[in-house]
Amino acid sequence: MQDQHIVSAFDRDLESVQAQIMKMGGMVEDAIRLAAQSLETRDEELADQVRGGDKAIDALEELINERAARIIALRAPTAVDLRLILSVIKISASLERIGDYAKNMAKRNSVLAQLPAVADSAGAIRRMCKTVESMLKDALDSYVQRDAELAMDVIARDEDVDQMYNALFREFLTFMMEDPRNITSCMHLHFIAKNVERMGDLVTSIAEQVVYLVTGTHPDEDRPKADNTSTKLKG
Amino acid sequence: MKDNVISETDVTTNQTKIAARNVQVFYGDTHAIKDVSVDIQDKTVTAFIGPSGCGKSTFLRCINRMNDTIDICTVKGDILIDGEDIYDSAVDPVQLRAKVGMVFQKPNPFPKSIYDNVAYGPRIHGLARNKSELDDIVERALKRGAIWNEVKDRLHAPGTGLSGGQQQRLCIARAVATEPEVLLMDEPCSALDPIATAQVEELIDELRQDYSVVIVTHSMQQAARVSQKTAFFHLGNLVEFGETDKIFTSPEDPRTESYITGRIG
Repeated sequence: MQDQHIVSAFDRDLESVQAQIMKMGGMVEDAIRLAAQSLETRDEELADQVRGGDKAIDALEELINERAARIIALRAPTAVDLRLILSVIKISASLERIGDYAKNMAKRNSVLAQLPAVADSAGAIRRMCKTVESMLKDALDSYVQRDAELAMDVIARDEDVDQMYNALFREFLTFMMEDPRNITSCMHLHFIAKNVERMGDLVTSIAEQVVYLVTGTHPDEDRPKADNTSTKLKG
Repeated sequence: MKDNVISETDVTTNQTKIAARNVQVFYGDTHAIKDVSVDIQDKTVTAFIGPSGCGKSTFLRCINRMNDTIDICTVKGDILIDGEDIYDSAVDPVQLRAKVGMVFQKPNPFPKSIYDNVAYGPRIHGLARNKSELDDIVERALKRGAIWNEVKDRLHAPGTGLSGGQQQRLCIARAVATEPEVLLMDEPCSALDPIATAQVEELIDELRQDYSVVIVTHSMQQAARVSQKTAFFHLGNLVEFGETDKIFTSPEDPRTESYITGRIG
């Protein structure tokens, strides 16, 4: 961090709201990991735990937004302080969305646990989740360390997630064509895969906030995108 | 409010009104302004910000040669208004000050009636040929000063009897009565309450239609609210000059950043 403010209470406010973001980030990382684990191990209890945990994430987002609003009202932040508050609001919204996707995955896991497994797709999804989770961890690290380079690296890694999703998309299409009894499972699995891909996008937007916070400019919009399923007709 | 606030602040196409080149100011041995060059645009509000003693008021006072009144003060370099050097020996400072009006930190109405306060400038510069023309000028100036409605029924009451905020708007009316092209304001709101401050700020925004306004302020928020361009001074140097939006969201110089965010630096 830079020099301290003359009004030290301002520093305390900013530190506390960032600590909340880190806490929320940790909770969301856990949610992703546990949701993926419950999918692979068909552990319904664990899935329920993830679903229940989302409430705490939502509550934390609300708390962060309240704190941010208070800082804006009382301190009229400018320059880097202003960018910090804006980033806090946006990052907490992204984290909350990721938490929702994890919760949704857990919900579908409860259904999938009743159906026969579809090859190793659960393992593939878990690997995808692992990639997203490590991206999120680095994005949060880059936030704490004000490291724009690491954030740019996270943005670049979203391409891997997109490619994993493409591969799964084709796989599910094949399974469904092979045996219509796979359709229910594959539909759920596909929604999960799509949601994990969206998590990757949200992590990317967190990393973009870090770049804006550190440099004052937004990174270029034309980042590499490898998700081409929306434009392809066949798998 | 205007419909499109974003485009409203876009002043990039406005012409240069005041051009300062390598301006240096000394008070005796003290080097108060160090080599400042800046282009101030027409029909734009430019804010000067910086800590106390950074030279912003000194620089402001160079623009209408107020520093001439201080014996030990010497000004070097060029200040051009519409391309003419205002420090040229052929320039009459009194005429210059009619063209470059000034409003001060504390409201300083003359101990005269409201009417005479405003009529004073136009009278000495011979701007009115008769009483009715002068009446028109006074009315127009008071309307521009956003104080006409409050004083129109008591124009011959003493100006000093008004409230602080009204006195300051009277002083602004007095400053615009001579139809200046540039209006310099040295902390015009520091003695005013928030309501009067808002009225003066609204007025500054209106004045921008016709004048080049330069305002010195200690309030960061005021600079952010009223200006389109901001100049940050520090220890006699012009550290950063640019779009107000840019200065307050992502300034380039770490000194600017420290100052506007309230850090020790």
